[in-house]
Amino acid sequence: METITQKNTLKDKVISEFESSKNSLFGNTLLREQAMESFYKQGIPSRKHEEYKYLNIDLILKGDFSLALNKTLDRKQIAHLEILNDAYVITIENGVFIEELSKLQDLPKGLIICSLAKASKDHSSVFEKQYAQSADVNADAFIALNTAMAKDGVFVHVQRNTLIEKPIYIIHVSSAIQNSIINPRNLIVVESNAQVKIIESYETVDSTAKVFNNALTEIVVEESAVVDHYKIQDENNFGYLLNTTQIIQKGKSVFTTHTFTLSGSLVRNNLNIVLDDEGIESNLNGLYLTNENQVVDNHTLVDHRKPKCNSNELYKGIIDGKSTATFNGKIFVRKDAQKTNAFQSNKNILLSDDGTINTKPQLEIYADDVKCSHGTSTGKLDEEKVFYLRARGLSETSAKKLLMHAFASEVVDTIKIDALRDYVEEKISKRFE
Amino acid sequence: MANEILEEKINEEYKYGFVTDIEADNAPKGLNEDIIRFISKKKNEPDWMLEYRLKAFRYWLTLEEPHWAHVSYIKPNFQDIIYYSAPKPKKVLNSLDEVDPELLKTFEKLGISIEEQKRLSGVESRIAVDIIMDSVSVKTTFKEVLSEKGIIFCSFGEAVQEHPELVKKYMSTVVPYTDNFYAALNSAVFTDGSFCYIPKGVRCPMELSTYFRINSAGTGQFERTLIIADEDSYVSYLEGCTAPMRDENQLHAAVVELIAHKNAEIKYSTVQNWYPGDKNGKGGIFNFVTKRGVCLEDNSKISWTQVETGSAVTWKYPSVILKGDNSVGEFYSVAVTNNYQQADTGTKMMHLGKNTRSTIISKGISAGFSNNSYRGLVRIAKGATNARNFSQCDSLLMGDKCGAHTFPYIEIKDKTAVVEHEATTSKIGEDQLFYCKQRGIDNEKAIGLIVNGYCKEVLNKLPMEFAVEAQKLLAVSLEGSVG
Repeated sequence: METITQKNTLKDKVISEFESSKNSLFGNTLLREQAMESFYKQGIPSRKHEEYKYLNIDLILKGDFSLALNKTLDRKQIAHLEILNDAYVITIENGVFIEELSKLQDLPKGLIICSLAKASKDHSSVFEKQYAQSADVNADAFIALNTAMAKDGVFVHVQRNTLIEKPIYIIHVSSAIQNSIINPRNLIVVESNAQVKIIESYETVDSTAKVFNNALTEIVVEESAVVDHYKIQDENNFGYLLNTTQIIQKGKSVFTTHTFTLSGSLVRNNLNIVLDDEGIESNLNGLYLTNENQVVDNHTLVDHRKPKCNSNELYKGIIDGKSTATFNGKIFVRKDAQKTNAFQSNKNILLSDDGTINTKPQLEIYADDVKCSHGTSTGKLDEEKVFYLRARGLSETSAKKLLMHAFASEVVDTIKIDALRDYVEEKISKRFE
Repeated sequence: MANEILEEKINEEYKYGFVTDIEADNAPKGLNEDIIRFISKKKNEPDWMLEYRLKAFRYWLTLEEPHWAHVSYIKPNFQDIIYYSAPKPKKVLNSLDEVDPELLKTFEKLGISIEEQKRLSGVESRIAVDIIMDSVSVKTTFKEVLSEKGIIFCSFGEAVQEHPELVKKYMSTVVPYTDNFYAALNSAVFTDGSFCYIPKGVRCPMELSTYFRINSAGTGQFERTLIIADEDSYVSYLEGCTAPMRDENQLHAAVVELIAHKNAEIKYSTVQNWYPGDKNGKGGIFNFVTKRGVCLEDNSKISWTQVETGSAVTWKYPSVILKGDNSVGEFYSVAVTNNYQQADTGTKMMHLGKNTRSTIISKGISAGFSNNSYRGLVRIAKGATNARNFSQCDSLLMGDKCGAHTFPYIEIKDKTAVVEHEATTSKIGEDQLFYCKQRGIDNEKAIGLIVNGYCKEVLNKLPMEFAVEAQKLLAVSLEGSVG
């Protein structure tokens, strides 16, 4: 009974906070009200919910969480987070775009970056056309919560035929002195024939309380656009991250995403890609290294709606300590999506006695002229490989380290930005020490 | 071309859809404690069995029907089902001559000639058959031959009367009545089924077999099978199912429990061909079955093989609990769906003991407007050192209006485990067809050849007697589903 009352209090808190603040929030109030209604109906999913089977998210949210949050960092405090020198840096602190902490001088022609709240007024035509179009509030309670409560975030608009050389680097920082829930929201629109690289990172700085980060990024990839997307998740032990990325792709576009989960006490990624036209290519790569009591849950949905598209998915994980890693990938091929090629692979290494791996690679296929496959394997480090290396004079630890590096490198090597690859490699090396 | 052949297939009639004109002794429709008491009394059961039924029934009342499977159907009205239907006249049968000739004709139509089996006694490949019609076991053959070896093979009702200690000891230990909605329902209202006990060190000399047939209209079939293989024993068990064509959906909710002791091996094969409904998806059997085996002690082995071609809706996961060290679990399955059939089937392999191994091979074939799902769980518990699993789930799609799905769940809590899962979905390759046709094999035969090759890994696991039947069934089910 206790859980139920607790859940109600959080729900009620959300509702009362919503009622008092809804008129001051950006965008369409009606949309927010619909989203709130949907959230109320769905509730916070428990383990009985098929999609949250392996995640005790309702237990985490049982504690006392506040929704209002104000704390500002200065530039010095976040300096170490800037891993790329040559990039357009956007800083979002506790779900709010902070211009002073961002580096957006000399934006090239065809690139607009501003706060989402500002975009809802200044760039209303694009905003209204794209905002909350692909993220369905009825599909997931956290999409509904974010859509209802989002205070701000960033708006990135790459206009047609524009090639952006420097990467766009979005840093999400949480810093809290009391337990809180934040709902950052981003909208990225890449018009036809444009090309861009986007990095999103999730970090905690100077936090002494639990922050539940319910982040949602919508990405629209129009005809023949090429988008290279990276997520670096490196929060501290106070960080709970639920990160939804909703992508819609149009004809002949190429979208590649890479998710690196390096730390954070709970990380849940919902990655949904809709292939809404012909000739699309989607690539999904992921690497998760878990330790201690971490919980990492990767959910991906690749929705093939139209014929002649290709999707490739590769997720790898190394699980240590008492951590739990979950991979739940679904390939959905609709009736008309003939000539689809869809591949999915999930590989895991379990290092410790107390770790847990759950994997659920799924195929749901309604078209016959398709080639779809998935594979998953879980095991320990190959004893024979360790022996081979030891026979050549390597110590057991260095042999194992080398093998883990090799295992991870298949995903790390897909990073196309050199500085970022170096950063991730360094992080991984540190983890294996 | 494809359309023509599909059309032909669609128009094909279910060939086991006859009704046998046998007078039946029915209970009134509906379900309440009185009905359960009625069934229990009819079967002359001891009090503990009635208590068990009532406990299960009361628990069932608290449950809701599960809806997580990838199937959709109109919920059966549990008050509109006859829970007990026994073919009349019912008397103790000693030889085949006493069996109702109508019944014998039924079995001849089904292709099981008991007479012939009887005549062939003494020949290597004989089979002992227990026949369950509607809810009651009508005939068990070869009982005498088996009892010489100490093997008990009889109807469940008989076992309750004659071997209550064994039934009491093992029943409900693998599938408790609290397991799920349909297991609870079955525990409350089951009317008969098969019971089999293989004593220590005995290798069962023949295949044991049960044929299930639903005959009366408006009845549900709820049978229970319990097989116990004591230390160092071996048994191969076959199960076949058919039903007449009826417009309404009929419910079949069985429970099968297997128990393998030290060094014992149980091989359980099913050819399921319940009436699948007509080409518009009308009628057909709802097949909601709970099958589970436990490798209780070291070095035991349980192997499930199934060929599923019938039923309007199938919901079935034959599972193995690998409790003993070095125990082995296997699951080989071919599931074919056509027209508006829906199947959500697979297995669960629960690794608890050390050095346990499991293999899952599942082949799904969907045609018409059907949906075919594999749903399987592989769980490696902490302490199940060196557990090994290999799973392969392939789907073949015929036509663009059907669906093939794979939902594997893999949960690993031990670092020494090695678990692999592979799945593919495709259609029959144009190049394969071309290759066959070029060598003078016509389209129809080429498809049969390719599909048979595709399912070979599973069909090979069936006992001889069944393999032939299964291959034929497969050919009939798929005749010209692709052009």
